Amino acid sequence: MEIVVCMKRVPETGDAEIAVDSTGRDIVRDRLTYDINESDNYALEEAVLLKEKFGGTVTLVSMGPPETDETLRMGLAKGGDVAVRLWDHRFARSDGHATAFVLAKAIREMEFDLVLTGCIATDDGRTQVGVTIAALLGIPHATYVMKVDIEDGIATVQSELEGGLIAVNRMKTPALFTIQTGINEPRYPSLISIKKATAKEIRTLTLDDLGLEASSAGEEGSKTKIVKLTPPPVGKRAEILEGAPEVVSARLTEIFKEKGMI
Amino acid sequence: MRDIFVLAEHRRGELRDITIEMLTKGRELAECCGVPLTAVLLGHGVDRFAEKLASYADTVVLIDHPQLENFNSETYQAALSPLLEDRQPFLTLIGHTAFGIDVAPRLSAQSNIPLATDCIDIRCEDDRVFAVRQIYGGKLNAEVSYENAPQYLATIRPASFPVREYGLKGEIVRTDCPALKTPEREFLEYVEAPAGEVDITQADVIVAVGRGIKEKETLPLVEELAKSLGGVLACSRPIVDAGWLPKDRQVGSSGKTVKPKLYVAIGISGAFQHITGMKGSDTIVAINKDPNAPVFNEADYGIVGDLFKVLPTLKEKIAELKSG
Amino acid sequence: MDFDLTQDQRLVQEMVRKFAVNELEPVASEIDKTGEFPWSNIKKMAELGLLGVIVPEEYGGAGLDFLSLAIVIEEISKVCASTGVIVAVNNSLAAYPILAFGDVKQRQKYLPVLARAEQIGAIGLTEPNAGSDVAGLESTAVVDGDYYRLNGTKRFITNGVEAGVYVIFAYTDKTKGHKGLSAFIVDGDTPGFSRGDHEDLMGLRATGNCELIFEDAKVPKENLLGEEGQGFKIGMHTLDVSRIDIGAQSVGIAQGALEASVKYAKERTAFGKPIAQFQLIQAMVAEMATQIEAARFLVYHAAYLKDKQVPRFSKEASMAKWFAAEACLNAVRKAVQVHGGYGYTKDYPVERYYRDAKCMEIYEGTTEIQKIVIARSLLKD
Repeated sequence: MEIVVCMKRVPETGDAEIAVDSTGRDIVRDRLTYDINESDNYALEEAVLLKEKFGGTVTLVSMGPPETDETLRMGLAKGGDVAVRLWDHRFARSDGHATAFVLAKAIREMEFDLVLTGCIATDDGRTQVGVTIAALLGIPHATYVMKVDIEDGIATVQSELEGGLIAVNRMKTPALFTIQTGINEPRYPSLISIKKATAKEIRTLTLDDLGLEASSAGEEGSKTKIVKLTPPPVGKRAEILEGAPEVVSARLTEIFKEKGMI
Repeated sequence: MRDIFVLAEHRRGELRDITIEMLTKGRELAECCGVPLTAVLLGHGVDRFAEKLASYADTVVLIDHPQLENFNSETYQAALSPLLEDRQPFLTLIGHTAFGIDVAPRLSAQSNIPLATDCIDIRCEDDRVFAVRQIYGGKLNAEVSYENAPQYLATIRPASFPVREYGLKGEIVRTDCPALKTPEREFLEYVEAPAGEVDITQADVIVAVGRGIKEKETLPLVEELAKSLGGVLACSRPIVDAGWLPKDRQVGSSGKTVKPKLYVAIGISGAFQHITGMKGSDTIVAINKDPNAPVFNEADYGIVGDLFKVLPTLKEKIAELKSG
Repeated sequence: MDFDLTQDQRLVQEMVRKFAVNELEPVASEIDKTGEFPWSNIKKMAELGLLGVIVPEEYGGAGLDFLSLAIVIEEISKVCASTGVIVAVNNSLAAYPILAFGDVKQRQKYLPVLARAEQIGAIGLTEPNAGSDVAGLESTAVVDGDYYRLNGTKRFITNGVEAGVYVIFAYTDKTKGHKGLSAFIVDGDTPGFSRGDHEDLMGLRATGNCELIFEDAKVPKENLLGEEGQGFKIGMHTLDVSRIDIGAQSVGIAQGALEASVKYAKERTAFGKPIAQFQLIQAMVAEMATQIEAARFLVYHAAYLKDKQVPRFSKEASMAKWFAAEACLNAVRKAVQVHGGYGYTKDYPVERYYRDAKCMEIYEGTTEIQKIVIARSLLKD
């Protein structure tokens, strides 16, 4: 089974403080650490599990600058066989559609039974690229996938809807699934697989290699643009209880009592 | 005259709240821009929703077809593309929901309409549309503009807009469905999440944990706290992904929506997907070491501190009060 | 001179760092409290190849270099020094001497077992009456038919309680001075071998430390490691390698202490602001960070020399071990200080780092011994 996995390298911003940079359209990035987008990691693990079951190869694809190679290399260590990085400075500041357009162009040249992507990127949260790639490739798709079963070229998948409700859909491969977190338990690469990853290929393709016009990619090819970034307006702020743990605990306990909870 | 379209969302015989939220906002935008508001209703045997939609919209385009009975991104898109091609609404709103995000990018790609997703606000200025969306888990807002195009598409985050009634009586127009191919994706069935041992939606007090608790080993301490308040333990999604608690304990958009008297959020940052599941609680208390955590915007009371320090002392104080 | 890690080494570092934080950190405090040997940690680490980092692939190991091993030990020790030293001992004090001095049969028999953590390894050099004074060892090994009869006691043996493969040093010929010392591979089920009680240590409490007792223990002749009289050379060479690892462990503990201090200083307020804004706290953090950086480079350099197969690197290994221990002790002391009263409680990890750190200047050759090694290399003719 030939599987393509789309991966994105994103900054880890969960615990970090984020500041808007001087352009007002991006964040300050120098102190940030980067890693593979969380749901892409689950997609990768799912692809490797399917490969282990059915045989075949896993091809990693990512649109990103040279630093992305490190993330791709780790992906190869986790079970990817080949990696392809798409980059051109003209790809910068792509919106969801422009990103999907470039990825689809590269994937179209590949043999695949499945394309797996994460369901959402933790940086821009667009939730858009996977389905757009499917539409551009002309293949069926399913989103927020929590379970993949494949038999004789037919995929039955469970997609998570709101409230924990699940929709079960069936389609022939080739197909694209956007993968939800929690579908599996992503592995740590062993030392030997890290070693093996060095020998694996990371191919780089530029805009010209892909045969694209500059007008179809990057900021030029994006029909939506970020105008500016601002901190979110402060909503109803909580009454913050101040003091040492004993003090705030005592106060909170009083509040619980006042509300009749104790 | 070019309208604003709102795609109604329904599932298993119920109109979903996002529809009314979008219609309320749509009405406001339509009046502001001086254009009609049109609700689009796709389905099979869904006439009973049309009247509700007509109380907001000038026109309800009702396309009834057996192949539209269950949501399917291919059939929905195949029905919508010709409609949008024909009617050329300048703005179409779809819910940023599991269904909505399954169809909107496809519609955008097939009909070549620029799309901004998960918008928490949207406005029209002359002929241009601007949207606001959140990035980096809600830590920043991004104002997004669309390049000049004949049409615009946006998916709208649930609970972004308050609802109100308009009491209008728009025209319900039954419209023919374009010929639909058999979709490549076949819907089989819905499956309910299995009921767990505890139904957190029935609890008066919920103590929920998020990534901030760092270790599974912290759970017993939190569970004790929950018990001492007569409540139950719940969590955000990452805790379920890690396998530390079962799915039936998850509060959030892909889990349960709860409205207890007291909701204590421990080590939860307050990402939208979680907030949406608990914002209806009477009293919300948040404990988080990050003073900028979005959860403090939802909470009534907050403690900015190390939960590993606060929890033991809190447990003590509660025990003291109970015995004293 | 290339100061960068290779891509492989960076990936190893990233993987072990994540693994340590997610899998080892949650139980570190508990195993320190109970003294329980962390078998679940070990099983997980074995699957990733961490118990046989420098064991060649043909023997079931990962076949990586000594710099990679140092990185592995540093990242593990940052969250759990006990687990870090278990990994260090298994790799460089048990597997390494067998790899470097064992014959083919010994390597084939023991290395895969150690690499997969089917058995844990340990080294038995120190005795109740002889730590620094290797010439003062009293254990003896006397030929008896197809066996050696081993008699003596070893003390303070890391991994002692749970190990199944021991590298033991004993005199085959006392008349020859240190040239009469020999090394043996001793299986855990050897008749005449028993283990003493689990030591109640100040720190590194989850390492199954105990005495090893040999009473006419029957060690098969084929378990002689190297040749009779080669024991001292094997011991010293093995220590050169393991000192790099203990240096790495010291750097790891110190780095953990530094990161905890930085985090605490930013959160804790006094006199109306975070204590991170006070110069005396800033000075402590600066000193810790600089010493750790210097120690790390000494450790990396010693590892680099070993990887380059430079014939003698004892001086560099001793410099690294000693300096890193100093940096570590300074760091943990400052870390507890930054945490103030809270640093003195068991609620914060720094008190565990403080207790773990003290051993760094004692075992694997005391700081005093390291200085003698360094001085000798400079002052000898």
